[in-house]
Amino acid sequence: MVHVYEFMWRVLHVLLHIHRTFITLFRIRLRNWNGQLWSRALAALLVPIALSFPKQKKLVPAPGKRVGRRYRWGADGKSLEKLPDHIGLLIAEEEPRYTDIANLVVWCMAVGISYISVYDNHGVFRRNNSRLMEEILKQQQELLGLEGSKQHSVEFLSNGTDKQDHQVLSCQSVVKVLSPDDGKLRIVQAAQELCRAVEQMEKTAKDINVTVLDSLLRESKTTPDPDLVLKFGPVESTLGFLPWHIRLTEFISLPSHVDVSYEDLFSALQHYASCEQRLGK
Amino acid sequence: MSWIREGELNLIEKLSANILKAGPMPKHVAFIMDGNRRYARKRQVERQEGHTQGFDKLAETLRWCLNLSIHEVTVYAFSIENFKRSKDEVDGLMELAKQKFIRLLEEQDNLEKHGVCIRVLGDLTLLPLDLQQHIARAVVATRTHNKCFLNVCFAYTSRHEIANAVGEMAWGVEQGLIKSSDVSEALLSRCLYSSNSPNPDLLIRTSGEVRLSDFLLWQKARDQHREGQALQQHEADRACLADLLQHHGNGKPLDAQRRREALLNYTASREERVQDFLGALQHKRDSFLTDLTSQAALA
Repeated sequence: MVHVYEFMWRVLHVLLHIHRTFITLFRIRLRNWNGQLWSRALAALLVPIALSFPKQKKLVPAPGKRVGRRYRWGADGKSLEKLPDHIGLLIAEEEPRYTDIANLVVWCMAVGISYISVYDNHGVFRRNNSRLMEEILKQQQELLGLEGSKQHSVEFLSNGTDKQDHQVLSCQSVVKVLSPDDGKLRIVQAAQELCRAVEQMEKTAKDINVTVLDSLLRESKTTPDPDLVLKFGPVESTLGFLPWHIRLTEFISLPSHVDVSYEDLFSALQHYASCEQRLGK
Repeated sequence: MSWIREGELNLIEKLSANILKAGPMPKHVAFIMDGNRRYARKRQVERQEGHTQGFDKLAETLRWCLNLSIHEVTVYAFSIENFKRSKDEVDGLMELAKQKFIRLLEEQDNLEKHGVCIRVLGDLTLLPLDLQQHIARAVVATRTHNKCFLNVCFAYTSRHEIANAVGEMAWGVEQGLIKSSDVSEALLSRCLYSSNSPNPDLLIRTSGEVRLSDFLLWQKARDQHREGQALQQHEADRACLADLLQHHGNGKPLDAQRRREALLNYTASREERVQDFLGALQHKRDSFLTDLTSQAALA
């Protein structure tokens, strides 16, 4: 009888995998199909116009296209009921694609999000910090153009940087690269610091509470806790992302960061905008 | 309504349970019981009725977990943030909790039959004294049961739990039981309210919200691999020993053999210190509960 149940379990497991694969393929195909449909419709619409107005200028000039997109992204951000102040991009996949992550960061900046954190649970981004920064700056030029890059300036923070508050005012967005060391390890370090203070009779055990610990774990007074974390990849876990700071964070899962589109990001932001936070009340 | 609803599964449920059990199963499941008030609004009943029905559904869920051989369940019943609600609602919830714990004490035979150990995690001092006493009696009465474990988070938030654990380690330092250099990820985990439970494998939140709301933040963060933790501890011991020798040594450098011996001795004494501290901490927590039960007996 046990073997029958095991067999049934395996059958259901296979069906579940087929179902998931089918959904993923369908999503990709639908997006491509939609894309082809749109370009075909556009072409069908434009051919008669092109024929009847031979002196028609080129419809979408490249620099203008960037400006159009930039304004659209900014308008999209303003159209949402609420936008996260701090967004976390949690890459739970084995092979990170720097261009796609850079695109996500730039779109977040364009939409109007002030603080963007990038995290993976192996510390790959931390080790390749400069490569990621270069890619972000490159994509910023590519997607926003020169004007846009001037308007949406970006400040990169590394771990332990003592961020001067006045610098924040001059920057539009702050990008931070995080690793698992910023999680439990930071909490343990703060605990050691407090215990040393008690050992040296600078504090008593009764002085230790949530507020005291929170102020030690808050690297900068101005950086808010993440409001939204977008998780890319199949693993259903926070993978050690800032355990202390995520008490009220909304988590939205996306299947993959590879070839992620702006529409994927925006629909996640729309989902976030519709969440109601009651804060215990 | 009883804490564990009696009754067997129907045929289809039994079949599904047997199929599921053929594959990997979580050993510890955590539930955030959310949505009672929205449910009450939808059904156009009083909020209190929503909470009562929520508890009934919990009883049913516990029965399913027992049937699925999931032996450890943690539920988020009441957050410290929930004290912000109206006085009527908070009083109603406290009253509901009191009734349920009284009921639990009446069902001791049933709990013994299933071997259910009840633990309540949170800052109990924030609760009304009579509720604290009922909770203490329930926890002490089921302490020795070991077939399945129900952890009820009441007057709990994860940040308070972590801060409390840090506070307990600081208390240990104050009492001279441990040194600040003994503080580690493993020690912090053992000072949490949930130190007797393994980390949850699965967290389920009802009603569709996708946030943790200050629940089990430390426990849900993925653990560093054991080898990683052991290596870190080994390095920390070496650093402490080097420090000690520098300050208290006679100036002569030790040879490799002596250094190894000194390190082993240091590690052994650290582990003994930590064990003594954890024993003292457990005793402190047990005494708190026993004092409450004797107060209740005298009353």
